[in-house]
Amino acid sequence: MDLQEFRTGLDAWLDEHEPELRADFGPDVTFDAEIRHLSKVKRMTFDAGWMRRGWPERVGGLGGSTLMRAYLGEALASRDMIEPGIYSMTEVLAPTMIEFARPELAAQMVPRLLRGDETWCQGFSEPSTGSNLGSLACRARRDGDVWRVSGQKVWTSLAQYAHRCVLLTRTGPPESGSRGITALFADMDSPGITVRPIRAMHGRDEFCEVFFDDVRVPADRTLGEVDGGWAIAMDLLPYERSTSLWHRGAYLRQRLGHLLASAPDGALDPAELGEVVQMAFAFHARSRATQHRMARGERLGPETSIDKVLLATTEQAVFDLVAGAVPAAVALGGDADGDRWRTEFLYSRAATIYGGSAEIQRDIIARRLLDLGDGR
Amino acid sequence: MMDAETAALLAQSLERAFRDPDVKEVEAALDEVGWREALDAEGAAVVPLLFARQGAANAASGALDDLLVSSLGLPAGPGTAFVLPEFGTFAPPGSVRSGGLAVRGLGGARTAAADRAVVLAEQPDGALSAVVVDAEKLDARPVGGVDPRLGLAAIEVRDVPAPGGAPITRAAWDAALAAGRLALAHELIGASRTMLRLAREHAVTRVQFGKPIGAFQAVRHRLAECLVAVEGAEAAATAAIGADGEVSPLLAGIAKAVAGRCARTVARHCQQVLAGVGFTEEHDFHRYFRRVLTLDGLLGDARTLTRSLGEDLLRERRLPAAPPL
Ligand SMILES: Cc1cc2nc3c(=O)[nH]c(=O)nc-3n(C[C@H](O)[C@H](O)[C@H](O)COP(=O)(O)OP(=O)(O)OC[C@H]3O[C@@H](n4cnc5c(N)ncnc54)[C@H](O)[C@@H]3O)c2cc1C
Repeated sequence: MDLQEFRTGLDAWLDEHEPELRADFGPDVTFDAEIRHLSKVKRMTFDAGWMRRGWPERVGGLGGSTLMRAYLGEALASRDMIEPGIYSMTEVLAPTMIEFARPELAAQMVPRLLRGDETWCQGFSEPSTGSNLGSLACRARRDGDVWRVSGQKVWTSLAQYAHRCVLLTRTGPPESGSRGITALFADMDSPGITVRPIRAMHGRDEFCEVFFDDVRVPADRTLGEVDGGWAIAMDLLPYERSTSLWHRGAYLRQRLGHLLASAPDGALDPAELGEVVQMAFAFHARSRATQHRMARGERLGPETSIDKVLLATTEQAVFDLVAGAVPAAVALGGDADGDRWRTEFLYSRAATIYGGSAEIQRDIIARRLLDLGDGR
Repeated sequence: MMDAETAALLAQSLERAFRDPDVKEVEAALDEVGWREALDAEGAAVVPLLFARQGAANAASGALDDLLVSSLGLPAGPGTAFVLPEFGTFAPPGSVRSGGLAVRGLGGARTAAADRAVVLAEQPDGALSAVVVDAEKLDARPVGGVDPRLGLAAIEVRDVPAPGGAPITRAAWDAALAAGRLALAHELIGASRTMLRLAREHAVTRVQFGKPIGAFQAVRHRLAECLVAVEGAEAAATAAIGADGEVSPLLAGIAKAVAGRCARTVARHCQQVLAGVGFTEEHDFHRYFRRVLTLDGLLGDARTLTRSLGEDLLRERRLPAAPPL
């Protein structure tokens, strides 16, 4: 199936299933309900075959170009059926498994993620480890055919819903830095795991603290090489900055379109509007080229930090425009529209923080793309 | 579509053509490269190749004249200049009143040596036509301004006897504007890339406090910001040429505005990194800064294009579709 066929077929299918797939918004829609809706969308698109396109057959996919994955998320976001922040985690977690898990494990687990039967989370950050990922401390000690994990993760998105966790642990000596890190695939119902949701600024329990108290993780759940977890994290980050950003870009254009259609006369300054639309188009152009590079099988690398900076800047500009155009809705609005603008405006403040902060992206650009040396 | 090898060869010869700073030499070299023939044969695909290099080299030529003249369906040639709209704007520079032509506009680098000039003029009934006039009748006066090396000339004349001229549809003018804006976007991007290269070279060689200034994060982040701006602008400009080889007027306008803003951002950061030496006329930076300030004003500056995009959108109340995957 080529992209054109996929697009035509999917569009028709989405038209047909619109009522079931459309997401609800408003102050009464809980995060639990959002997550349930996401699972439903994934299950329906998987069962109809759309979600399986662009993923390898050995993990339950139907093969074909990754552009189909890009288009599926774009179509769902443009039609307001998903919120890409939670939808697109698949684009980071599934490739990790495909590349680094034992083939049987990947074959068993990935379909569950794609179909929405399971939610997974990514346990990288810790209380004393944010940008400096190489300093993480959550300890894994080998004991026969299990790892015994003790320590803490934080800001772990969706951990309260998650069945599995892609977890970075310290397996080398404390001072081993990026060399002594191992990635594990843990079951979240393992004895010794405690999850405490954290209320985020935008009013959702977006992420959690996760405590590990002598948790046993089978050794065959190791992802990649022992002490080779850093390579996994570094390999994955470019993926975090490709297809999922494309999805988010589509979502932003959809929201910008809604603002443009609904803002009261005189609320939008033409110059401000024009600039934000131009930013959104420039991001779209950049990210489109990245999707095509990925589809051709090119290895994505530090150049995706440019996509990330462009997207984060655009996202904040879009919602700054919203906050300027409909300030009362954002500040006070109690209806579904106001509540949604407020939630999104607040969430957009994190765009320069998660997935590698704006400063870390600029560091990568300076070192890897401008070849300015390591800054010492 | 041009194959990669042809494109690479053309790019190489264009790069050589821009080595000599003299406009006459550049024009002769472009003649030799066969740039107008390439434009006829390949269409918009050659625009990025030429203009990015012209910008990167801080060179000036009549290539924009050729592009606009041939976009309007008239024969382009080294003796034919095109009169640009007034600085910052994009309204047709000419107006025909009771048989006479009034022109307020700008001539480019070619104007001084041209025999004739094409003036896009509005007829009393609002229709557009492309009028060819003797270059000397235009009384073009060199403007020094911020970038004398670009060779711009101010044109302000009335009552030039005007033969009928070729009728031009609004769509044809929009298409010509789109091609010109795309060209200028690439020229701005080329100039921005050179500014960034100059600042980067300075950052790795200039030592203060015992290390290259490129080790300081404030400097690194400024330069990173420049690269983000340049790559965003380049992506926008690349996307303005569709799969069918046509230039989208909407996307070319966006590309030019983004490239104009990008160039300001790059100039600001690079100037700061270059500091004292970048403030001299002995360092090349100033030439590029002067150039981008001027190029931004041709065929609609970033500010004007941005506002007018916003006004169009507010009339339609719909976001135009972006190019599909
Ligand atoms: C909504 C949201 C969801 C998240 N989801 C997850 C998740 O699912 N899994 C997960 O593991 N993590 C997640 N995170 C955590 C996220 O990855 C971290 O917040 C991020 O890496 C930054 O770490 P920090 O918050 O500890 O900030 P710090 O690293 O302490 O940084 C604080 C500030 O200092 C700056 N700074 C730090 N180092 C440098 C430097 N070298 N040079 C210049 N400036 C520097 C930073 O840019 C930042 O502005 C999430 C965060 C958010 C906000």
